[in-house]
Amino acid sequence: MAKQRGRGMAAIEYPTGMNQGGDPSQCWVKLKPDGRVDVLSGTVDLGQGAKTIQTQIVAEVLGVPTDWVTFDNSNTDTSPLCTGSFASRATFMGGNAARIAAERARERVLDIASRLLEVDAADLDIDEGEVFVKGATEKRVGVPDVAAAATWQFGELITGTGAYLKPYANVDPETGRTDRNPHAGISYGACVADVEVDDETGAVAVTKLIQVYDVGRAINPMFVEGQLQGGGIMGLSFGLLESSYPYYPSVEHRGSEFGSYLSASIEGLPEVETVLLENPDVDGPFGAKGVGEMASNGIGPAIVAAIHDAIGIWVTESPITPERVLRALDEKAGGGGEPRRDGKRYVFDESLSVNALATGISFEVNV
Amino acid sequence: MKLNVNGVEHALESGALTPLLHVLREELGVTSPKAGCQSGGCGACTVLVDGEPRRSCLTPLGAVDGAEVTTIEGIGDAHDLHPVQEAFHTLHAAQCGFCTPGMIVATVALLKRLPQPGRREIERALSGHICRCTGYVKIVEAVEAAAGGSR
Ligand code: FES
Ligand code: FES
Repeated sequence: MAKQRGRGMAAIEYPTGMNQGGDPSQCWVKLKPDGRVDVLSGTVDLGQGAKTIQTQIVAEVLGVPTDWVTFDNSNTDTSPLCTGSFASRATFMGGNAARIAAERARERVLDIASRLLEVDAADLDIDEGEVFVKGATEKRVGVPDVAAAATWQFGELITGTGAYLKPYANVDPETGRTDRNPHAGISYGACVADVEVDDETGAVAVTKLIQVYDVGRAINPMFVEGQLQGGGIMGLSFGLLESSYPYYPSVEHRGSEFGSYLSASIEGLPEVETVLLENPDVDGPFGAKGVGEMASNGIGPAIVAAIHDAIGIWVTESPITPERVLRALDEKAGGGGEPRRDGKRYVFDESLSVNALATGISFEVNV
Repeated sequence: MKLNVNGVEHALESGALTPLLHVLREELGVTSPKAGCQSGGCGACTVLVDGEPRRSCLTPLGAVDGAEVTTIEGIGDAHDLHPVQEAFHTLHAAQCGFCTPGMIVATVALLKRLPQPGRREIERALSGHICRCTGYVKIVEAVEAAAGGSR
């Protein structure tokens, strides 16, 4: 009877946003008469940093400092539509809408500047808030002066709209082939969990998590790391503690408070190592892909594999409670060998979606 | 009933059994303490009562009559951040921010009691504070940085 150590690994792939359309994002960028930039968008920032990231995208495209840019999602009724912050889509879909809107606003800035400088717009570039003639850097005009000229001299508004929707892939009913790739922005990740399993009490402690994610482009590396760490510990929590339906498929006894629904606390936090790989995606804004949701998906499986490495059992249900670990150990000791890797089978009837659970319809269960 | 909240004396109308959380949020409009679970399980409502972290959801006003209450509003503001706030801000130790006021006041109290806390003491002091977003990693880093900065 002792604490046994093990290491496990899991790999994940995750397509950003929804496939086959259905989740568009829109954005509107406009310049105030003094050159400051308003970004009107419906993207909700849950704390993941969408406001900052879309601000960075617009500033980068327009060639102005980030503090000239105000991202306003304060009114999702009057702002252009964004279908939501889910499926890791805010940077990818909302960011693409912002990028396209900013590109169009940029064309308008160059158009007005070309009239002021009497130079062809194609020969102009913008950097640090100034429009200049490529190769002749002394001929320049500030974006604030361009915006002022648009307003007071030409009677125009510098603005750009952008929208993004993954194109629909038609399926040939004969061959099952699609006429284009139905996915976009597929992120990849791998995680390693080191565990210590007490084979007397069944308690599992995760001592280290290593997470390696291909994020396309980390537009804000600190925020991306925050997403991956947060998702990682959430995954650990799903793996070891959290259970929405402890007697699934019965919906009785759902945890209704933190005393009965456990989630990970700061206590016993593993060492967390996060590695970002940048493998730019052709469709993402500056190559970015979504990473929010997938960060919590691989940790549970990695823990399961680590437990197998430590004590030779496969735990086939989550959360991996001490009780489940001890049962699996008993089963092994009783000569039953390793429990089946695939464990319990639930027959899933598509007409009974998870939503149907709440209405009390129960699934047929084959054990 | 009286309270000194962030240095200002208040005579209060709420009854003795009103949770301090509601006195602060509703009678005084001090909204940084969050009503997370209102049953003592999450730490989002934490404030300092005479310098000690307390769950304001479980603290009846009558039990703290005349006390000094400090919320994050009394610790620093956007133009004059407390070193703990500065560390949380710089190191991105807050995402949605719901746990943050509680985390920060608890950290301020910890560093007052123990200016150089080890990893274990940090975990102990913050173990009753649930954060759904950050995975705690950057919170630990921020507490360590704030402790380092106050050396
Ligand atoms: S609201 Fe007080 S502990 Fe959750
Ligand atoms: S930052 Fe969201 S709960 Fe901690």
